[in-house]
Amino acid sequence: METIGNITWEIKEAIGVLSLGPPPGNLLADPVFVPSETLIQWTSDPSLKGIMVHGKGRHFSAGADLECLTRMAASEERTAERMNDGKKILSHLEALPVPVVAAIQGVCFGGGLEIALACKIRLCAENALFAFPEVNHRVLPGLGGTVRLQQTVSPAAALTMILGGDTINAEEALRVGLVDRIFPREKLFSAGIALLQKMTRNRQPEVIHAVMNALRHSSTMTEEEAMREETRMFCKLAKKESERRSSEQS
Amino acid sequence: MNQEASLTGLSSIRWSATNHIGELILNRPPSNEMNAVFFEELDRLLPYATTRKDLLGIIVSGAGRHFSSGMALDELLKNITVSEISDHPGDKKDHVLLQNYRSFLRLKATPIPVVAAIRGVCLGSAFELALLCHFRICTPEAVFGLPETTFNLMPGLGGIRRMSELAGKAHAIELILHGNTFSAEEALAMNLVDAIVPKNELHETAASFIRKISENYRKEKRPLYLTRYLRHHGTAEDTTL
Repeated sequence: METIGNITWEIKEAIGVLSLGPPPGNLLADPVFVPSETLIQWTSDPSLKGIMVHGKGRHFSAGADLECLTRMAASEERTAERMNDGKKILSHLEALPVPVVAAIQGVCFGGGLEIALACKIRLCAENALFAFPEVNHRVLPGLGGTVRLQQTVSPAAALTMILGGDTINAEEALRVGLVDRIFPREKLFSAGIALLQKMTRNRQPEVIHAVMNALRHSSTMTEEEAMREETRMFCKLAKKESERRSSEQS
Repeated sequence: MNQEASLTGLSSIRWSATNHIGELILNRPPSNEMNAVFFEELDRLLPYATTRKDLLGIIVSGAGRHFSSGMALDELLKNITVSEISDHPGDKKDHVLLQNYRSFLRLKATPIPVVAAIRGVCLGSAFELALLCHFRICTPEAVFGLPETTFNLMPGLGGIRRMSELAGKAHAIELILHGNTFSAEEALAMNLVDAIVPKNELHETAASFIRKISENYRKEKRPLYLTRYLRHHGTAEDTTL
């Protein structure tokens, strides 16, 4: 187990678990909730097949620590710099070529929801609550959440949350498509691990990477580029499989 | 290419046009496996079939009990080459798999509705083909899946992109990495098929659906339909009917 600040990381059976802290609220003292180089180092383990992000204790994360944020905001330049660094961390998490699952229980507000939105699959407990309360403090979600939320739910649902600052529960989150599945609280963590194991246990890392990269290309590339890249990746895998089969026969 | 040249000697595909509806039938029963011959014939047929001015729509289906079990894997693996694929279309002759992919996209860019009518198994590349049709109608017993990763491969004909557009990223990742099959009901719930109908109504439902859409065209709803269609399916190569 590795720890930096309030965040811990551990790889068990090829699944990395990123735990947000400190409990109870797992407040984020800084948009850079984990140093970029640390996250890159942790997630570059070649044996890694999937990641689960969750909060220590009863909550996912209540978001930014407003006191720290207010102090930081005294300098506009410094704020912009930290926010941009924070965005890079979420972009890194989002672009990883392995499935990243958020297991969300309790509150998932502001910066916490930003982190959850950078994950590809969101599971939550029955007691989960979601909100972008930024508007109540006369700011807006600053780590790409306005963009990611609109890509995840309908524009109407996104606006209601961002502009209204409304809190929604697990059921409503499932209905609008913000989460993909709900579990009883006590089963959430094991359900997340089980899902990741089911998807990755018998898969070679290069197969997982190819699928996840192809998926990412569908939103970052034109159809023509994505098509060429997909064929390239397919041919590489097929060549390797073809060689494996002929070596098995000989 | 003229009609005769396009249609001469088709064996893996059956093509016909009746009452202004084109019928493209995958024709290697029982499993309608998609081999190199199939893709070669598809490549030959589609430029002709998708630009005919007298058709209201096209129904894609499988001969016999199944839609198709997908790509002929052994043949594919035996012949695979990793020749360099250039970044610029038209630089040199496309890799054969890229040509197959282009055929599927041509179906998607067809300016008349293309409906997949699915019975039995619809797996791998065959499901990718169905996903690139504009609509999917299936029977209650239909079985779907992208099992490529269970053979250490990946879906390579646009299925990853289409599945995540239709069912969302989470479902796409889970179904593709796990590689499991799923039922018609599950496919409907995930937006991967548009309707489930009894076996004996499958074909007529697809045909009447196409006629209904073309009726809307004639009632001058065509601009709306085309706008919606182009937004969802990219730019059609030929939008002047």
